[in-house]
Order: sequence, then C-alpha cells, then structure tokens
Amino acid sequence: MGKRIWIPWAIMALQVVAILLFTRGFLLTRTELPFYSNCSDVSQSPCSYSVPETQNRNDTVDPNQQRCWSKPAVGRLVIIVFDALRFDFVAPSTFFQESKPWMDKLKLVQDMAARNASTARIFKAIADPPTTSLQRLKGLTTGGLPTFIDVGNSFGAPAIVEDNLIHQLAKNGKRVVMMGDDTWTQLFPRHFEKSFPYPSFNVRDLDTVDNGCIEHLLPFLYQEDWDVLIAHFLGVDHAGHIFGVDSMQMIEKLEQYNNVLLKVVEALERQSAPGGLHENTLLLVMGDHGQTVNGDHGGGSSEEVETSLFAVSFKNPPSSIPSEFDTSSCELDLDGRNICASSIQQLDFAVTISALLGIPFPFGSIGRVNPQLYALGVGTWNFEDGVGNSQNQSKLEQWMLNYANVLCTNSWQVKRYIDIYSASSVIGFSHEDLLHIADMYAKAEERWSLTTKKVLSHEKESHNELLPALKRQINLYSDFLASVAELARSKWTEFNLKMMGAGLGIMLISLLVHFLAIKKVKEEYGFSFTSSGDSGISFSLIFSCFMVVMRACSFLSNSFILEEGKVACFLLATTGLIKMRYSIMKKKMILEALVFLLLITICRFTIEVGLSKLAPSSEIINAYLSWMLRITAGFPVWNIVAEVIPAVSLILLAFLLRKAITGSSSEGIWKYIIMGTNISYILIAMHWASESNIFNLAEVLKGIGRNYIPRLIYAIGFGQLLLLAFNQLFNKGTSSDCSKVLYIKTVAMFSAWSSTLILLLGKQGPWIALAFVIGGYCIMRLDNIELDAKDGGSWNTMLDPIPVTQWSLFAVCLFFCTGHWCAFDGLRYGAAFIGFDDFILVPQAILLTMDTFGFSLILPIFGLPFLVARLGQTEKGKKFVLTRLSLVYMIYGLIMATSVTATIICVTMHRRHLMVWGLFAPKFVFDVAGLILTDILVCLASHYYFSQVEDDALQDPFTKDNALQDLFTKK
Amino acid sequence: MKQKKNKEMAAKPSSKAISKAEALAVHLISGFGLSVAFWVAHNVHSITLTSHPSHTLCLIWVFECPAVILLYSRYRKDHEQCSYFKAVGRGLLGLPAGALINALGAIVLGAPAGIQYLPKTINWSLVMSLFTIVPAASVFGSSWTDWQRIFAFTKPIEPVDYMICLPAHGAVIGAWFGAFPMPLDWERPWQEWPICVSYGAIVGYLVGIVASLGFILVRQHVKGD
Repeated sequence: MGKRIWIPWAIMALQVVAILLFTRGFLLTRTELPFYSNCSDVSQSPCSYSVPETQNRNDTVDPNQQRCWSKPAVGRLVIIVFDALRFDFVAPSTFFQESKPWMDKLKLVQDMAARNASTARIFKAIADPPTTSLQRLKGLTTGGLPTFIDVGNSFGAPAIVEDNLIHQLAKNGKRVVMMGDDTWTQLFPRHFEKSFPYPSFNVRDLDTVDNGCIEHLLPFLYQEDWDVLIAHFLGVDHAGHIFGVDSMQMIEKLEQYNNVLLKVVEALERQSAPGGLHENTLLLVMGDHGQTVNGDHGGGSSEEVETSLFAVSFKNPPSSIPSEFDTSSCELDLDGRNICASSIQQLDFAVTISALLGIPFPFGSIGRVNPQLYALGVGTWNFEDGVGNSQNQSKLEQWMLNYANVLCTNSWQVKRYIDIYSASSVIGFSHEDLLHIADMYAKAEERWSLTTKKVLSHEKESHNELLPALKRQINLYSDFLASVAELARSKWTEFNLKMMGAGLGIMLISLLVHFLAIKKVKEEYGFSFTSSGDSGISFSLIFSCFMVVMRACSFLSNSFILEEGKVACFLLATTGLIKMRYSIMKKKMILEALVFLLLITICRFTIEVGLSKLAPSSEIINAYLSWMLRITAGFPVWNIVAEVIPAVSLILLAFLLRKAITGSSSEGIWKYIIMGTNISYILIAMHWASESNIFNLAEVLKGIGRNYIPRLIYAIGFGQLLLLAFNQLFNKGTSSDCSKVLYIKTVAMFSAWSSTLILLLGKQGPWIALAFVIGGYCIMRLDNIELDAKDGGSWNTMLDPIPVTQWSLFAVCLFFCTGHWCAFDGLRYGAAFIGFDDFILVPQAILLTMDTFGFSLILPIFGLPFLVARLGQTEKGKKFVLTRLSLVYMIYGLIMATSVTATIICVTMHRRHLMVWGLFAPKFVFDVAGLILTDILVCLASHYYFSQVEDDALQDPFTKDNALQDLFTKK
Repeated sequence: MKQKKNKEMAAKPSSKAISKAEALAVHLISGFGLSVAFWVAHNVHSITLTSHPSHTLCLIWVFECPAVILLYSRYRKDHEQCSYFKAVGRGLLGLPAGALINALGAIVLGAPAGIQYLPKTINWSLVMSLFTIVPAASVFGSSWTDWQRIFAFTKPIEPVDYMICLPAHGAVIGAWFGAFPMPLDWERPWQEWPICVSYGAIVGYLVGIVASLGFILVRQHVKGD
C-alpha cells in the first residue's frame, strides 16, 4: 500500500502539466504597469521638437509650459459614442454588396463627408476582441490591448488603474464632462468634472440613457466650462440586443440619432467662427464596437469588431495629406457623391487624441498616431504658432515634419513601454522579438537624427530632398509601431493553439491513466462493479457514467453553465430517485431515501434564491424579500428566530460529533479534537452574538470579539490539524479494527475543518454543515441497501459507483448552495476579512480559498472514507478496506477530472464565443483551480488515511505493484 | 440479481387474459383520447399547448381520464373480488394521488414552485398521473407486490403489465429528457415549464405504447410457436 500512494501524485503531476500548458495557451496575461506619463518625460526622448523652436521663439515663452508632448492642435473635443455602432450604419450602402434597411439612416454623416472630405471623414474603426463595452472603453482610453487577466487589477472594482487618456486629461487640466452610460463612471470614478451617468443594466429600456444624454448634451454645447465632452448613447446596443439589427426599433433609433447629430452640428457650426466658442473644436461620432445582425457582440467576428468613427473639424485644413498615408477607399453614394472611408485601429485612438490635444500619451499605449485623423486637427498644419519662420516650406512639408515629430515621440513612448514592460513583467516577450524591435527602433532613430540635421541645414536652401526624406522617416516609424502592435497582439490576444492542444492531449492521457489505474487496482484485488462479479458492467456503472457524461456535456452550452447548480441538483435528484427505487425494491431505508430527496429539494431552493440574487430583475424574489422584510419588521420574533436557528444547528452539530465519537472507542487525541471543536463552536456563537444587537452582552464583547475570536478559532482549527498530523507521524499504534479507526479519523478531520468553514460561511454555515452530514449519512446508508440484503460473500468485493457519483454531485450542489458561482464576482470577498481588518495577501488568499472550496472540495474529499468506513466490519482486514478506499478516491478524482476535461474542451471550442471572457473563462479558472486542489487534497488524504497500514502491507506480497509501476513509468 | 429476485415475486395470473386485438384497441383509444384533446384545443378553443399550457393540459386530462380509467378497469387483477365500478373508483382515487407523487417528483427535480406556476403544475401532474399511476391503480388496486414488480423491478410478465409498465416508464423518461432544453437561452415560449416537459412525456408515452404493442405481439408470437 505504501507504494500505491504515489499514484495520486503521478496523476496530479500529469494534470498540473496539462493545465499549465493549456492555461499558457489560453489565458493571455498582461501585467498592468503602475507608471504614468508626465509632461516632463519628453525631455528624455530624442525627438527634440525644440530644434526649430530654439531658433525662433526661445526668447518668448518656455515651450514646456505652452505645450507638453506635442502642440495642441484642437481646442475642444466632443466625443459622441453610439454603443454598438456598426460600420454599415454610417458608411453609405454602396460600400456593401447589398443595401439593407438599416443602412443610410445617418444621412447627416454622409452629407458632411461628401461635402468636404478634408474636414469630415468616415473611418472604419477596427476593435480588438473582446468586443464588450467595458473592455472596449478600457482599450480606447488606455491604447492597450485587453486580455483576460490584467494582473494587478483588483477583481472586484473595474476602475482602470493603468495610465489612460481620461487620467491624462484630468491631470493636464482639461475639464471632462461625461453623460450617458454609467460604465464610464465605474471605470473613471474621480476623473470627471461633471458626470450624468445613467444605468446601463436594463437592456429592455431603449430610451432612458439616450434621453438623458440628449437633455444634457445640447445645453453644454453653449457653455464654455469644459474641454472634452463625452456622451455615450446606448439605444442602438439595446435595440440590437432585444430586437436585432433588422427591426423597426433599430431604424427609429438611428433616425433619432441623425436628428441629434443635426442639432449638435448646427450648434457647433454656429459657434465655429473665429473667436467663437467652437473655433477649434473636433467632433467625433464613434462606436465602441459593432454587433451582429442578431444584436450580439463580444466576439471577434468582422461584424462585431468593425465599428465606425466619424470625425469633423469645423475649419478647413490648407491642404490634404500625401496619398501614401491615405488609406481610404472611395465610392459614389446613392446620390452620386464621392464619399471616402478610411480605416483606423481603435488601438490608435488614445494616442491620436492625446497628440491632438497636446497631452502626454498614456504610458501603456501601443498605438500609432493615425495620419488622417491627425490631419483633421487644423493646428497640425502649422509647425509653430509664429508661422512666418520659413516661407519656403510648403504647408505640406510643415505638416509632414510635424507628423514625423509626433511619430518620433510616439515611437519613443512605445519603446519605453515595451522596455519597461519586459523588464518588470514575469511573462514578457521573447528575446528575439525584443531584439528585432530594438533594431527597428535604432534604425528609425538614426534616420531621425539625419533628417533633423537636414531640416536644419536645408532650411534656407532648396529642399527637394526634404519631402522624400520625411516620407521615409514616417514610414520607418510606422513600420516600427506596426510591428510592435503585431507582436503585442500575438502575445496578448491570440490563443496559442499548439499549447492548448498539447495541454488538452496531456489531460486526455491523464484521464486514460486514471482509468487504467482504477482498472488495474480493481482487477488486482478482485473488486467489481456488479454484485455477481461476472460481466463487469452493471446498471449502476452505466448510470453513473451516464450522469457524469451528462454533466460534462452540459458544459458545452453557456446556458447550462449559467444554470450549473440547478443542473447538478437535477442530476443529483435523479440519482436520488433511482436510489429511492432501489429502496422500494428492497423495502428498506425508505426514510433515508425520502430525507435525501427532501435535502436535495432544500438545496435546490437555496440555489435558486442564490441565483436570483444574481439577476436583479427577478420580481418574484424582490416581492418575496420585501414581504419577508415587512414580516420581520412587524414581529421582532422573526429576528430572534433568524438568530437562533444557526445556534440551534450548531448545537445539533456538536451533539452529533460527540455522539459519533462516543459510539466508538473514545480515547486519546480524538477526544481532545472533538473538545476543541466544541469550544470553537461556542466561540462562533459568541462571535455572532457580538455582531448581532439582540443580546446585551454584545457591548462587552465588541471590543475584543471582532478580531480575536475568529483568529482564536483559526488557531484551534490549525492546532487540531497539526495534532492529527503529529498523531499520524508518531503514533503508529496498531488498532484492531481498521474500519473503525478510519471512521474516527474521518470524524476528527471533519471536526477539525468544520469550525473554520462554518465561521467563514457565516450564518448559513451550521445549516450547510448539517446538510453535509445528513446528506453524507443518507448516501452512505443508501449505498448499503443492497449490501445488507446479501449475506457476506459477494458484496465485499462489490464497488458501487453510484454513491461516489452522488457524493461528487452533492459537493457541486453545496458549492452553489453556499452562495458561490463560477465567476469572480461569485467569490465572497467578505469571508476573507473575518478576523482581519487590513488586507494581507497570504492569509486572505487562504481564507478565500477555504470559503470557496470548503464545502465543495475540502470536506467532501476528507469525508469520502465515510462511504467506506461504515460498510460493516469486514473479515478481510485493513488492506481490503483501504484498497477499497483508494479505489473510491480514484473514482472521485476521475469524475472531477472528466468534468474539468469537458470544460477544457468546451473552452477550446468556444474560444471565439461571445461569452468566452464573461462565462467560459471564469468557469475554466474555477474548474482548473478546483481540480488542482482536488488532486492535492486527494494526495494529502491518501497519506493521512493510508499510512497506518504500511505494517500490514509488508505482510502481503505485492507482486503486481511492479507491473503497475511499469505501466506508469512508460508515460 | 434483479432477475433472481423477480422470479420469486412473479404474480399468479388471476386476471382476465388480454388479447392482441384488445391491447391494440386500448392503446389506440388512449392515443385517440390524446389526439381528440389536441384537436379540441386547437379547433374549438383555438389554443395550443405552447400558448395556453394550463388550459390545454386540462383538456388533455379531461379527455384522457375516462378513456384510461374505463378501459384499464376492465383488466383488473382481482377479477373475482373486485367489481368493475370498484376498479373505476380506484382509478379515480389514483388520479390525485398519482398527481401528488408526480408533482413532488417534479419539484425535487427542479420544477418551479411559485404560486403562478401552480395551475400548470397541477394540470401537468394530473396528465402525468394518467400516464403512470392511474392505469396501475385501476388494475392492481392495493396489491403492493404488483406495484413493486412494475415500478421498482420493471418486471412485466403479462400483456397488461406491459401495457402499464412501458408507457409509464416512457412518459417519465420522456419528461426527464424533455426538461433538457429548458435552461437554454433560445427564448422560445415552449421552453417554459411545463410545456417541453409535457411534450417529452407525451412523446415518451407514445413510444412506450408502441413498444408495449411490439412486446405483446412478439410474446404472443413466441407463445404461439
């Protein structure tokens, strides 16, 4: 048996490798850096913008006070965001193969773009998936790429901590006004001068947010106390979600938006005369992402990532930019006018806007200043305010020089970010990639110094060479920036399919190994899944497999993952009904079967109440809760009952523990462990009493109770575990009855863990623990139905897989019963702060893990011997019982591993799914963490429960162990 | 192991034997009752199971109830001691009792238990009761061993056993599978409780009927040889 103990370790090693590989390929990580760009940083850059300046204007003003990284080219900025604005909402229908009813509704945009291509421009803006509003706003403002885990981001609060556009605006004295979608205020809680947020939750409400925006937007256009105005409309997004793109509601929304834009443009144009309020204002009308025809978004399909950006300035730029930098495609629209549409990456948005407004570029931005959008800012056409310096320079050259200069700063900023990122992040870029980038940058840099020299030296001469030189320079910088973006994309947003495949392959191999190990051990000791022991396949085996496979298949659909708790309950209830049928068959233990079904029903309602808290729109529950509250208000008795019930179940639990231990030989350390648990329970009751305000003693305890009682309970629990471990190591007293020892050990383990877990779970803790005990008892009793019916003989070697399946399903149900679900907001952060006021990483991570997996992994795994121990006193002795136990553990592990493998397969299949980051990835993280924890716990439990038998094992020659070992070493 | 047990429990045949033609007639009439209910729902009240589940289910059990009780009571086990009317009375008693069992089972498995679902659940469980419990109640009465043989051991022996056992199991298994589409986010009206479960149960019931007919035919064929 001593040799057998390495099997769980081997399986664990395989699974850990598989999971690591898969995770490396699937969960793209990026470290958020806590650095911010500052105005003064630019002096470190080689882009001495001040070269011509020192000659011309050195005497008048210190340049750093007037401008920061680039010269402000735009005075004020109006950003109107239409959520989920498809590209074909804006572009003329002639751009597309066939005309659809929702096209050509934003007439104003097309009119303006047709009238003057150099002041108004339509862009096809390409977003990076995931195309959800929150992720896109984050991408738009930081200029970075979104990933699943932004390390350093606190999971709960979505506020952006990275450097971003809005932060820079606020820091550099720009007054930002926001109206519309409240996601903005979640992301930037303190950055806005004024904000008018409206709730974005209610998808069925098409108008509240939009009307709020319209109400505030127009008056603000006549005020001068702001610099940047953001209005985020949600109607199109909501109309798409509810009615789809091809619907009347959508068309009405678009027509409404057209009217809004008409009014906005009219207001801006009226004040755009020199000296007017909007003399130098840029209007941006943009979407944050697209949507499919069904109104879905989140994924990476072209319909979802293609959104549009429409930019208008109300001043004519003197010339147009060279065609090399113009990526636009032009078509005649329905009225025969020429309309052009350019293309822009959303990645470039933050840096282009920063350059236009003259603020530092966000530190983590990897975008490039987009030439066409930059050219719309009229200020970019004058190299300096005092233009008169070089009459011989054409306007175009001035712009090119200006743009090259901005690109130089841009490249320097991106290079700085990449350098600092790869120095500080754990998972950085590969060495070759970095070398390649550094090489490109060095080349561009070298060229730049040549070019600037040329500018200086040729200033007063003919400069035929200047224009080509500038073009080459701009191309070099653009190439550098493009390759950085490409590299970042491949590292941060693309899945590594090879790694994922390898991980999945190893996972499948581990399943096979697991299965073979079970088979081997089973055959070696003559266990079988049937009572007759001949065929090897029985109804219960098929049924268990069916249940496990059912559960595994249910992960293929996002709806089933959302309802996972209910699905598990459904399957558990089915096994319960099947067991009920057995007990009717044998006319025994019908009471246990009924109690078990009742327990499942209670679990089910608990889960439903928990789920309904997720959905705030559930009216019944709200009504029910308010009804409950009214009752409680009316009768203070209810309050007391709510306080007393946990206490009663605590007492009941303590009583059960005591009974369990006295029924057997209560001697030695077991007694002390149970005593410790009882003390802990009393302490828990005191802790709760100190928190509630019913009892007067609360005042007395409040001072000392809040932190010291929980810590004392943790200490007792830890002490109990230590005691058990020491007992394990040093007390190898041979006991007569192995089954009984196993039972006592299980009870001791349960009592050692229970106090801490109950404390963490709060008031629902005692009842869940009680449910766990009752459920475990019922499963164990029902397992014995058939066994008791027979006399000796075959049942000794029979191993029924149904109880193990039930046990694992029950554990899943308890996970959901305790108010958890597979998402990061399903973690109960409050539990981590019981006994602690401040955030200390390690203890709180441990507490959170214990709270999350306590009743779904820790207790079920340590309680698994319960299924074996009470089986009756066998004649065959320890070896037999323990082999059975190890088989049970392996089957349990196999069930867990199967469902995790199903999750992995499903995540691989759905990696481009709309909900992959919202639903599948968190589920994957939870499952994988659970599986690794399961493996560890199974190994620990094996050591804990098995080691005592080593003396015994020596007596039995295990010749076949070697064969098994060979089997494993081959892998 | 099941087989061994069951042999001891094999009931002594005391009821009136049932011929192929009779079995066919019984099943056809119960199937006919279903289709009449649907026809009436569709053409007279112009409703469907999806649009008015509660009302339609009510129609189904109203039409199915006399057919099932009156037909199955003819094949009561204890032919000598029990009059036809007593068997009908047992069937009528079995209707609410079976409905209670079915409703409890559904709630254990996760059927919604809110007040607004109450009429739907009641009507659904009455229909389920007609598919499962009522025929057995009419035929077996209070003979516990027969009940156990049919529902716990699934060991039908005589043709009438097949006619009770297979459709009942079919209906329950069909209803179980019928619950599967319910959590999906297709937002179709038929995903509501108890519509797809009822469809599943009806399909399962019909499959059970066909299977039972098949078994009876094969068995009599074998016996004839």
